[in-house]
Amino acid sequence: MSTTDASGIPASASPGNKRQVTREQGIRRFKWTVLTPLILLMAFLLLPAFLLQGYFSFFAFSIFDAGDSSGFSSYFKASEWVGLDLWKDAFSDTKFFNAILRSLLFSAGTTVCCFVLGFGLALLMYRPFRGQGFYYVFFILPMLTVPIVIAYTGEMILYQNGPLNDILSRITGQRVMFQFLYAKEVALTTIMFLETWNWTPFSFIIMMAGLASLPKEPQEAAQILGASKLRIFWEVQVPLLRPVILLALILRFLEAMAEFPKTWGLLQGGPGSATETIPIYIFLNAWQYFDISYGAVLSYIVMFLMIFIIMGAIWLLRREKKNLDDMYQAPNQEG
Amino acid sequence: MAMTKSQRQLNFSIFRYLVLTFWLFIVAFPIFWMVGTSFKPDIEWFAWPPVYITENGTLQNYLVVWADASEYSESVHTQSLQRPWEALGNSTLISLISTTLAVLFGSVLAYGVSRYQILSEGRMFQLLMLRMVPPIVLIAPISIWYRALDLLDSVPGLVMLYFITTLPYAVWMSKSFIDEVPREMEQAAEILGASKWQTIWEVVLPLVRSGLVATFLFILILTWSEYLMALLLSKTNVVTLPIELSKYQGSTEGRVYGRQAALSVGITLPLILVGIIIRKHLVRGFSFGMVRR
Amino acid sequence: MSEKNPKISRRKALKAGATAAAVGAVGTAVPGKAIAGSEEDAIIAAAKKAYPKGQDLTGIMWSNYQRAVQPVRQEFAAATGIDIKKMQDISVFDIPARAMAEALSKSGEFDFFHMDSNMIPSLASAGLLEPLDAYMKKANFKLNAVGDFAKLMTYKGKTYGIPTDGNVMVQFMRKDLMEDPEERKAFADKHGKEMAWPETWEDELELYKHFYPRYHSGNLRDRGSSMAWWYMYLYSAGGFPFTDDGDPNIDNDAGEYAVETYLKYKEVSHAEAPGWGTPQMIPRIVGGNVFACQYWDGIIALAENPNKSKTTGKWAYGQIPGSRHSGKLLKRSVSTPVVSLLVNKHSPRKEAMAYLAMYTATGKNSDIVTGDRVNTFHDPWHVDAFKDGSLSQTAYTPNGVQGINDCLQVTCPALFVTGLLEFETELKRNLSEAYTGGKSAKAVNKDTTDAWARAARRIGKRRLREEIATYKSLMPTRDVPA
Repeated sequence: MSTTDASGIPASASPGNKRQVTREQGIRRFKWTVLTPLILLMAFLLLPAFLLQGYFSFFAFSIFDAGDSSGFSSYFKASEWVGLDLWKDAFSDTKFFNAILRSLLFSAGTTVCCFVLGFGLALLMYRPFRGQGFYYVFFILPMLTVPIVIAYTGEMILYQNGPLNDILSRITGQRVMFQFLYAKEVALTTIMFLETWNWTPFSFIIMMAGLASLPKEPQEAAQILGASKLRIFWEVQVPLLRPVILLALILRFLEAMAEFPKTWGLLQGGPGSATETIPIYIFLNAWQYFDISYGAVLSYIVMFLMIFIIMGAIWLLRREKKNLDDMYQAPNQEG
Repeated sequence: MAMTKSQRQLNFSIFRYLVLTFWLFIVAFPIFWMVGTSFKPDIEWFAWPPVYITENGTLQNYLVVWADASEYSESVHTQSLQRPWEALGNSTLISLISTTLAVLFGSVLAYGVSRYQILSEGRMFQLLMLRMVPPIVLIAPISIWYRALDLLDSVPGLVMLYFITTLPYAVWMSKSFIDEVPREMEQAAEILGASKWQTIWEVVLPLVRSGLVATFLFILILTWSEYLMALLLSKTNVVTLPIELSKYQGSTEGRVYGRQAALSVGITLPLILVGIIIRKHLVRGFSFGMVRR
Repeated sequence: MSEKNPKISRRKALKAGATAAAVGAVGTAVPGKAIAGSEEDAIIAAAKKAYPKGQDLTGIMWSNYQRAVQPVRQEFAAATGIDIKKMQDISVFDIPARAMAEALSKSGEFDFFHMDSNMIPSLASAGLLEPLDAYMKKANFKLNAVGDFAKLMTYKGKTYGIPTDGNVMVQFMRKDLMEDPEERKAFADKHGKEMAWPETWEDELELYKHFYPRYHSGNLRDRGSSMAWWYMYLYSAGGFPFTDDGDPNIDNDAGEYAVETYLKYKEVSHAEAPGWGTPQMIPRIVGGNVFACQYWDGIIALAENPNKSKTTGKWAYGQIPGSRHSGKLLKRSVSTPVVSLLVNKHSPRKEAMAYLAMYTATGKNSDIVTGDRVNTFHDPWHVDAFKDGSLSQTAYTPNGVQGINDCLQVTCPALFVTGLLEFETELKRNLSEAYTGGKSAKAVNKDTTDAWARAARRIGKRRLREEIATYKSLMPTRDVPA
């Protein structure tokens, strides 16, 4: 088995050390060959953007002062030091505050809905049965549909004389003329429904993988001890699935915070401001009003908020992953 | 006892089919409606009661959108307003290049992490931020920076951004496959004097081929559907399919549901085909190493 | 069939004209001398001199506008080799934001933007637009527009736009319904007076209510273009959106009247109105679902085209209603957007684009564009289009032309100041919140005032003060049409 280099053998210390050194050098060289392009790309692409963003959040840029010159320096000439003014504006901006709340509500709501539906379907489907493959193919389709297509197809289905109202009319026996899109109270829920439709397959697939991988022994042991199915589910299966569940929830929540195409394609933040989520509000400021500086401040605040959320998520995920590694005693890695 | 058990099983089975079929309806209806509308003549687009299955099926919508059989042929109109083939070309080019780069680079990086921990676990999680910070927060300064570099409305401009925002998924997914490859093979290769790169190309990556295919196609889904960056960083040269579709918003007299649907079908079909081909791999790919076998 | 003949002869005439023009240009290439022949010849001559090899151009234009310009464009291409090869097709209401994005990136990719001229102050301030006066002089070209349309093309004394579409809001009334004896009797029995052409918004609402829900209002209430109605309500109440000092001036009596009037129409509008823009409403109007509305004058030509409309001959056109809120009857129409061709300063091909733009705006060519009976998005603005026998006159019917003329006498611009986009977007958001939710008129005005004050600070009060003086000078002097 021990076909590795002679690391454990002190007898041939000198050549062994040499090989040891070259091996470490090799790893280091490999490491930097791989990482350098990535670091360079980030330094080239993201760093300047961060710096510009930071600059504009303290220097108010006015597109109307940019003048005729088309050079890169014209952006700086058209900016004026305003210190923390814009930050103060942002912290007292109730529209922004509402957009954050709306985004959190949107993300939390769709995350829970996607998860409950996805997990429920996975529970029904993870054991083989006749027709499993057939259902499975259909159930992953929504994830393969382009979001902007969902927005436009959604409009065709949801408008007042559309098929959904017709189906509801046939079921209830009276003419239903529900406003799915242009009623203030309903619009956000409608978008949440579309998001749930779009991404339930994601939770579904993750939970299918999780359920399929569960070891049989603990369940069998519990069954022998006479535990009910429900108890086995809650006390044996769910704890084992916790890392996967967390992963499904966290990834979905974070992706939902960035949802733009469906909301913009269907309602552009309206009616009123009913669907003005964080991405829409920043989009309006930066790409409708061209208030690049205010957009920069809002972006920084959102970035801090997101990083805060992501750090929390990472802490959770790492803890779970560690538990998992301990449990399965993953083979020790070299290094 | 046995009776009640099989009875219970039968009940469960019926319940399962009922629930699954209900969900099947919800999942299939929008797709059915989109495909159905794309074959309807214009008088049926908004008919009340709605037309579910058209009896006057027509290919006209497809011809107008995809073959430029212009409805305005009577007028002197010479330019096609929709250029779906060009957009299809752009979408294919951009998503294929960025996805290939992300998967190749991501899998090499993942190999390094898996075998030599060239990124600590903490860094691996931080890598996820590249994906998880919403792109809207950086797109304005990026467009100014791109302007300075003359990268606006260009293929490399979009490819770089797509690469960097999908890299975290590429690394995490391919790492979960590479982790499972037994080390003996590489060690044997090393003993035989293979360089690290040879080991990766000739031993490791071929072993996780099916996993890489899954990763590739999953990332293809993301880059193919991307909307925001393409909307703000493209003008006329690199218009992608989602942006082409969004031009229907208010761009014509009256809603043109049939045309819209015909274009939508063209956008969705490639992804659905791809997804059906890789459906088995998706289950593995999505679990990010959080599931062990 | 009768409609086809003029089209063919028009095309023939055009062809003949272009050939003559090309020949003429060669024959009269004497510099410094006034060129004999039409204004078209002069433009072609100047263009050929500057671009002997022709030039390909790129720009942004809404497809609805592209088709009517096509014949004129092709004539120019045949004569000079200057032609538009690539166009980005987006809605005219989305183009301002796209053009601002171009101003931000200062790229020369697009040679022109076909859009609302009210954006001229913003885009000229942002350094995107090329002044056209020098080219106009070279081609010996002058804008010959009715009303104040030529002034709307200028900013700080320079000309930045060439109009193609002279929009003004005109009153549309279904005269068949107004004349129906049963309707008249029912209305008279209930209100104790005869049905009559509405003088005020309140009169009009009373009429609408009589016909609702059989027919609904055709006035827009979406988040896109419904601002036009707010302008009419505000101006007719004697209001003006800014003080001379550049401060918001809507959190007051007239402002409240404007918003309340805007909201009152909810009672007689279709339930989906907040989501309907022009693409959804026009089919309702010409399809016979609408009893009355104020609408852009181009739709007259569509409504009177029997191939496109179910309501041909059923409409009467005339003065828009007004308001007695200020103590006297004021009628105020609005001209927004006056859609025009704006030339990108950063484009290396800008001069070629300037000539092409001018070519669409000569008396003869402009009439061809605005007189198109199928593609009716360009509305008449050239003096010649209002002369007897012009194509526009035929397309718009004598009654329609009368209505346009009346309303032109009292038409006003939209906010003709830098920052139009943010001012309007903020107001639209608040109006839409009030229309779809419970927000009060007072709250609309207060929130809008706050947002405007912030935008005004950013744009610069000094700049605004100067612009507001110009803006005010564009307001009509009569109370009601003569």
